Amino acid sequence: MARWGMVIDLDRCTACQACVVACQVENNVPPTGADQAELGRSISWLRLAPHGEAEHGTRPQMHLMPVPCMHCDNPPCTKVCPVQATQIGEEGLVGQIYARCIGCRYCTTACPYTVREFNWKQPDFPEPMEQGLSPDVSIRPKGVVEKCTFCHHRLQVARDRAQLEDRPLAEGDYVPACVESCPAAAMTFGDLEDPNSEVSRLKQSQRAFQLLEELGTEPKVTYLSKGEWGGQV
Amino acid sequence: MPRCAGAPIMPDERIEKGQAPTGPSTGEPAGVVASAAIGFLVFLLLTTGLLTVGSGGSSSRPVDQPVEFNHRLHVEDVGLECNECHEFAESESFSGLPTAETCAFCHEEAQGNSPEEAKLVALLSGGQPLEWGRLYRQPAHVYYAHSQHVSVAGLECERCHAGLAASSRPPRRVRKLTMDDCIDCHEDGDAESDCTTCHR
Ligand code: HEC
Ligand code: HEC
Ligand code: HEC
Ligand code: HEC
Ligand code: HEC
Repeated sequence: MARWGMVIDLDRCTACQACVVACQVENNVPPTGADQAELGRSISWLRLAPHGEAEHGTRPQMHLMPVPCMHCDNPPCTKVCPVQATQIGEEGLVGQIYARCIGCRYCTTACPYTVREFNWKQPDFPEPMEQGLSPDVSIRPKGVVEKCTFCHHRLQVARDRAQLEDRPLAEGDYVPACVESCPAAAMTFGDLEDPNSEVSRLKQSQRAFQLLEELGTEPKVTYLSKGEWGGQV
Repeated sequence: MPRCAGAPIMPDERIEKGQAPTGPSTGEPAGVVASAAIGFLVFLLLTTGLLTVGSGGSSSRPVDQPVEFNHRLHVEDVGLECNECHEFAESESFSGLPTAETCAFCHEEAQGNSPEEAKLVALLSGGQPLEWGRLYRQPAHVYYAHSQHVSVAGLECERCHAGLAASSRPPRRVRKLTMDDCIDCHEDGDAESDCTTCHR
């Protein structure tokens, strides 16, 4: 059984945000408009989080790091959901079933990475955008929580393709949109259970660390950096 | 949208009916009475809704069809296989509906003297595409693939489209699978039943 995980090399990342855009488009993430953004209610499944400091008179030490859902092996969010709308699956993906969600937002509070977003409004896609919506991802109604799924709709299709061709899933058959879009090849995705996969290899790196690993959430997203935040943030 | 019996209310409906988990409460007794009344109405609507659509899990939206197609005649009497007209069932997520060429193969000229066939022959000679109405569609948040069930699991069409081969008119309603139908078979057949197997 696979266990899906991601490695993000911050030493390669140029903070170009191609991944952010790819994610919004792939997953029909609605634009919320300036008024909502002002209230802190804009939605993005993958954001670039700033880290570091800029002291007056010194060279600012600012880093931007892409933060998707960590798909924790020990997720705090699933434990607080009163209706089991969010659960961790057999292959380690933390799913969000919108039809089941009652919008209580316990999970958004429980998530230490703040990657869960609430739909304050009925999503509205302005004129030409409507034609670009993906049929592979359902549109979330007002009043439910949504988040990064590691593009699991791509896994659904990839698995069916592989089974149809009577072969196991190969590395690269299932890759989320952000990873695919990264021009610096800073993001890698694959099966952590397979010791020969690229993600397993990279995870062994000296530069590897996880966000807030001391919380015991066991994130399946690993970061690589030589920088001073190596090992901790 | 029809929903399976016992399924929870969609959150968007709750909010439209004024039961959002957000927003300040008025604290006024009148407001409480009003929302109780609304709550009761919602309850009534739901129970009656469930009574009409719940049990069969079927869709009864009438659809316009270019001609009255007769499944029984073509399957039983002519002896056509399902996949000759629904040719993508083995390889794709969808099955597909037949194109004009498929029908023209036999109906370039009239074979009998039924008025429906005459209508078809006229349509075909006009060179228009046949635009079949489609009845069966899962909600957008469900992923389902025919290839997986027809080719990989080797299931007969009848398992899920019972009675269709024996119908002589385009169906007004089709039997739809509920989530329980899907999961029951998955558990028997050792297929996955994680929420994210089917939901997206
Ligand atoms: C000669 C062509 C032909 C054959 C053979 C045929 N079908 Fe059809 N089928 C059609 C056409 C045309 C429609 C659309 C019109 C209608 O609904 O009757 C249709 C509609 C359907 C639908 C309803 C789709 C929807 O959502 O509206 C199902 C299900 C279906 N067929 C299943 C089958 C099965 C199962 C078989 C084999 C037992 C079969 N068909 C054989 C031509 C065919
Ligand atoms: C393999 C040959 C074949 C194909 C392909 C075929 N048909 Fe037929 N169809 C027949 C035959 C044979 C009859 C019976 C003619 C008769 O004796 O009245 C028939 C009869 C009909 C009739 C008259 C039915 C009635 O109830 O009186 C209609 C309408 C019709 N077909 C529609 C279609 C459509 C639409 C398609 C394409 C989706 C199609 N057929 C494809 C062989 C075919
Ligand atoms: C395991 C259940 C199952 C089996 C087996 C199955 N179907 Fe379906 N079928 C469905 C479901 C579910 C839908 C609705 C799909 C959707 O919403 O995309 C559907 C839809 C259809 C449609 C509507 C149009 C389309 O393009 O999908 C046709 C036609 C159809 N099926 C034909 C067939 C034929 C022919 C077979 C056998 C070769 C078959 N089905 C086997 C479950 C099944
Ligand atoms: C009659 C039995 C049956 C029914 C009904 C059925 N399935 Fe399945 N399904 C299977 C089997 C068996 C497999 C596994 C095929 C395999 O991997 O060998 C499967 C596999 C799948 C898969 C791929 C998961 C995987 O293991 O790779 C999806 C997605 C799926 N089904 C969705 C649905 C949905 C949605 C419905 C209801 C609309 C449904 N199924 C109804 C028997 C069924
Ligand atoms: C084998 C496929 C399958 C699996 C696994 C599955 N579902 Fe479903 N689910 C469906 C289908 C198909 C529907 C739509 C049924 C209908 O149209 O009536 C549905 C509908 C629903 C609905 C109702 C939505 C509405 O419109 O009323 C909820 C809620 C839901 N699923 C939650 C879940 C949760 C939570 C899980 C995991 C525990 C899960 N589902 C697992 C196939 C599945």
